[in-house]
Amino acid sequence: MIETEISLRASGRLARIVAYTAVLVISLLLPLWIRSPYLIHVFNLTLINIIAASSLRLIAVSGQLSLGHAGFMSIGAYTAGGLAKHLGWAAWITIPVGAVATMIVAILVGYLFVRLRAIYFSMVSLFFGIGVLAVNQVCEKFTGGYAGLIGVPVMFAGSKVQNYYFFIGLTVFSLLALYRIETCRIGVTLKAIAQSHLVASSVGINEAGYRVFAMGVGCFFVGLSGAAYAHYFAVLSHSSFNFLASVNMLVYVLVGGIGSFAGPIVGTTVLIIIPELFRMLKAYVPYLFAAIMIIVIFVMPEGLVGLPGQIISWIKGSRERKDTHAP
Amino acid sequence: METVINTIIGALVLSSMYILVALGFALLLSIMGVLNFAHGAIYMVGGYICYQFAVEFGLNQWLSLLLSTLIMGAFGVLLERVCFRPFYGDMYRTIVMTIAIVLVLETTVNVLVGVHIRSLPAFVPGIIKAGAISLSAERLVTFFIGGVLLLGLTLFIKKAKAGQQMLAVSQEPEGAVLQGIDIFRISAVACAMGCALAAVAGSLMGAIFELSPFMGDYMLVKAIQLVILSGIGSIGGVLAGGLIVGSIDAVLPLFASGAVTQAVGLGIIIVLLLIRPRGLFGREVT
Repeated sequence: MIETEISLRASGRLARIVAYTAVLVISLLLPLWIRSPYLIHVFNLTLINIIAASSLRLIAVSGQLSLGHAGFMSIGAYTAGGLAKHLGWAAWITIPVGAVATMIVAILVGYLFVRLRAIYFSMVSLFFGIGVLAVNQVCEKFTGGYAGLIGVPVMFAGSKVQNYYFFIGLTVFSLLALYRIETCRIGVTLKAIAQSHLVASSVGINEAGYRVFAMGVGCFFVGLSGAAYAHYFAVLSHSSFNFLASVNMLVYVLVGGIGSFAGPIVGTTVLIIIPELFRMLKAYVPYLFAAIMIIVIFVMPEGLVGLPGQIISWIKGSRERKDTHAP
Repeated sequence: METVINTIIGALVLSSMYILVALGFALLLSIMGVLNFAHGAIYMVGGYICYQFAVEFGLNQWLSLLLSTLIMGAFGVLLERVCFRPFYGDMYRTIVMTIAIVLVLETTVNVLVGVHIRSLPAFVPGIIKAGAISLSAERLVTFFIGGVLLLGLTLFIKKAKAGQQMLAVSQEPEGAVLQGIDIFRISAVACAMGCALAAVAGSLMGAIFELSPFMGDYMLVKAIQLVILSGIGSIGGVLAGGLIVGSIDAVLPLFASGAVTQAVGLGIIIVLLLIRPRGLFGREVT
């Protein structure tokens, strides 16, 4: 009994490794087939958002549903962009500096917000996200204010494909780190805190510390993606980091499935690429976006990730029903 | 002197409109546990429906306001029945649902009307002069309507059976069910009322300021600020929270520019919440 369970788990793990490797290989080979720079640009955008959504999920795992994640992303983006533009630092320095700056801010903020729980945390992080943008506009000299920060040096000016491979590397690095954190003891602790902070702290877990840790790590990676975004787009406008952007990240996570690590990856990919494929619909594209969301919540309670499992159990169920109907 | 009085009137007008929108949001949050991100969009659609009747069809403006309120009230019932009831108690899925509703509503307005900014004509044009002070009649009337509606709503919650049931459900859903209260019926009433109030606020604000498909986003953030500041589950607290947020928004622009105002306003609210993590009048959430 136990042996079969172990072997099942091992085979599941093998299947998962095979699946992840296959996805990685396909995405590495993608530029060989797809030549259109526009599509590569869409892929780059998807990769940036995958990092952001996955890092948001790590914070959510600790029971803190952050709605100000785009605000943190803007800290990374503007730090990197501002340093590169005003001081002429190279991208290889500004990207880590942007990520670390975001992490420091997140740790300070997370420490302040540690008393706030559940929905109060979500809402205050929402206000924080909006507040960051407002502060952003106040510091006009450094951030360009309302007009946006224009003229950030681009990292790979030559082609979008080089950027694509850079983003693949960045995504793989971030996802490996996030996966490692989630599956090791820290991740288990975070889940315990999310289930009941009282029980967790009664068995001696430093609940506040772990929650701040989750904020710090999650925001490090979103800062990383923000900084990379700055060096890719060369123009930072504050409207790309508004309240709606934070909500969008949350939607990517929820539609993909918040319960599984692959959730944000699948959700982001589907919700960015499908509307882009139908972009000839122009003003009607948001309908498509909304339709995907509504179908997912009505049909797939566990998000898009749960779909294969649902299909398998549905087939099994119909087979069993056939068996019971047979005389 | 005139600045002072106008600022006070401005604060009262903003407060009353914020409270109208926030009350609907608060009712849905405390009764159904729905974090209704679509409330701003409903407010916006209410304003546009009023505009459509009053300007395009040429109806009496007060009649259009009434029609817009009724239509949005009916929409609220539909919303509860189709969109919120299947996901009762599932916060994540209702969040996705409300965001889908926002997308649908904003895109519909965008496609049908376009992004051009429009404005409703004033409900009551003119200026009232009292001695050396001149006040905009429109603003006074808006405040008056807001005040009357709030008074009516407070009485409804205090005196009417349905109102008492709402209070019971928001305090303790399971206890309310044990007393034989139909949660879904109460939720439908609350949802209809919330949407209707948002429509009134949208129409009145559309006459004072302007209509745009994205005007709801600003109002939504204000409503959330107010509800969180006053605390979830406290309907009376929304009134106090509304006065605080409205006063901050009316007074701060006298001293600083837009972005600074926004940052300082949010800062004040964040600090208040850090001092009192469950809002000024709220209950503990776990």
